[in-house]
Amino acid sequence: MSNSSIYKDVLMDHYRNPRNRGDLSEADIVRRGSNPRCGDDIDVGVNFDAETLAKVMFRGRGCSVCLASASMMTETVSGKSKTDAHQLVAAMRNWFTAEGATADDRPADNLAALDAVRGHSARKRCVMLAWEALDEALEIE
Amino acid sequence: MKIKPFDVFDSAPVLADVPLLAAAGESLHYLDNAATTQKPNAVIDAISDCYRQHNAPVHRGLYDLAENASQLYETARRTLAKFIGAASDQLIFTRSATESINMVAQGWLRPRLNKGDQIWLTRMEHHANYLPWQALCRDNGARLRIIELNQDGTLDLENCTGLYDASTKLIALTQVSNVLGVINPLKEICAKAAGQGIAVMIDAAQSVGHMPVDVTELDCDFLVFSAHKMFGPNGIGALYGKAERLNQMEPLLLGGGMVDHVSQCDSIWMPYPTKFEAGSQNLADALGFAAAVNWIRQHDMHAMHAHVTELTQYALDSLAKLNNVEIYGPRDAEQRAGIVSFNLTDVHPHDVGQIAGERGVAIRAGHHCCQPLMQQLGIAATARASFAPYNNRNDVDALIESLHAAQALMG
Ligand SMILES: Cc1ncc(COP(=O)(O)O)c(C=O)c1O
Repeated sequence: MSNSSIYKDVLMDHYRNPRNRGDLSEADIVRRGSNPRCGDDIDVGVNFDAETLAKVMFRGRGCSVCLASASMMTETVSGKSKTDAHQLVAAMRNWFTAEGATADDRPADNLAALDAVRGHSARKRCVMLAWEALDEALEIE
Repeated sequence: MKIKPFDVFDSAPVLADVPLLAAAGESLHYLDNAATTQKPNAVIDAISDCYRQHNAPVHRGLYDLAENASQLYETARRTLAKFIGAASDQLIFTRSATESINMVAQGWLRPRLNKGDQIWLTRMEHHANYLPWQALCRDNGARLRIIELNQDGTLDLENCTGLYDASTKLIALTQVSNVLGVINPLKEICAKAAGQGIAVMIDAAQSVGHMPVDVTELDCDFLVFSAHKMFGPNGIGALYGKAERLNQMEPLLLGGGMVDHVSQCDSIWMPYPTKFEAGSQNLADALGFAAAVNWIRQHDMHAMHAHVTELTQYALDSLAKLNNVEIYGPRDAEQRAGIVSFNLTDVHPHDVGQIAGERGVAIRAGHHCCQPLMQQLGIAATARASFAPYNNRNDVDALIESLHAAQALMG
């Protein structure tokens, strides 16, 4: 696969072995992200311990980018405070939309594999789907 | 003795005549022709020649340059009209097939669609030929009716009770599905509709320029198409209408050029086609549009169509040899245009499209602006390869290789 491929090993690993994917019936809050344009449909469930995200899980279907990003999201935000998680979502949004953003602007190092996707405008929504669902679950105005 | 190949069309000179593809060479296999086609030199030259040599206001000036521009514009109209078997003045320049459909919906049908009337569409319509009618039905209290499909994607004309009822005001359908590739039996539908005085509007966005289309033979009331899908420029399209319908139809855009007499409170429109072409006209793209027609003629549309059909059959057969593939629409290329939609089991079409793209194979992945069809098929999206005369078997082979790669990576 060429260097510019979006299918980096880390991304494929998250796609093949998603972290924190499963049953959301025990979650305190579940929020849905769906993109009817391509049929991506993801639920994100969060368990809170006071102001901390004790557990973040997801379930659903989508393309490899969508599922891998959801998996990475759960890893990145678990254990974070609501405020930090909210800021991480904002940083993700910024990384994927701001003009002149670079690989160095990634909100966390474990998201580096998503850098190759940033050049593909058609995939932005796939990447952001789980993050936006998480943001809704945080219920921060 | 040398065995004569089934496909005698030589795509190489056609390819060489399309600079974007000629420059890309083997690094690009462009199989997204149903979305938009690439442009031959003749079209690009016609547009740049216009700005270099002919540019002037159309139907406005009294000096030679302007007179010449007006003549060129009308010659382009004649070329287009003749290409689809229409009288010259019944060919209206629009911005696109989409705009043409909206013109018919708002300008012709809206004032004569009443509560309880029916508009019939088919399950395979593009959103461009769905949403304008859906909105109109909602506003006027009419019923939107759908001709459903058989298993193989052809129209189920047996089970559409009421299609030719007196309450049906319009049947709007595509000639070729941009997803399934199916070619619809328009003559039969037009003939039956005409017998009941029902108007038929044909979305010919995927057919004009790719197969013979003749409005007189079809006897349709309206027919729409876009230049960019037939090797012409973006931003220009056409609307054909029967004389009686065009007389009934109101213009949507009001402004310069389309009016005969303006008084303080009332105005009198020019006759068609002028009444539908308000504002300053798009001369360069009209010339590019006509150049596309001449280019198609010069290369012999029948020969090109036969080549695309042969390629489509090759693609269908090659795809069918893959494991875990679902192909939508008829398996026989003779029943379709050069459009093939498919899915690989357990590989999202976006990943199929992306992996193909990384290997230089340009295909489309998505719902193709046909969500009602996707819902019927029970899927969100498909991958789609679509062929043009400049494609050859190498392009299909590259596609198949990229699908193997997708299965290997995602499996
Ligand atoms: C069948 C069909 N109808 C209508 C359209 C709309 O054409 P345009 O976008 O050029 O207006 C398309 C384009 O995708 C099409 O495939």
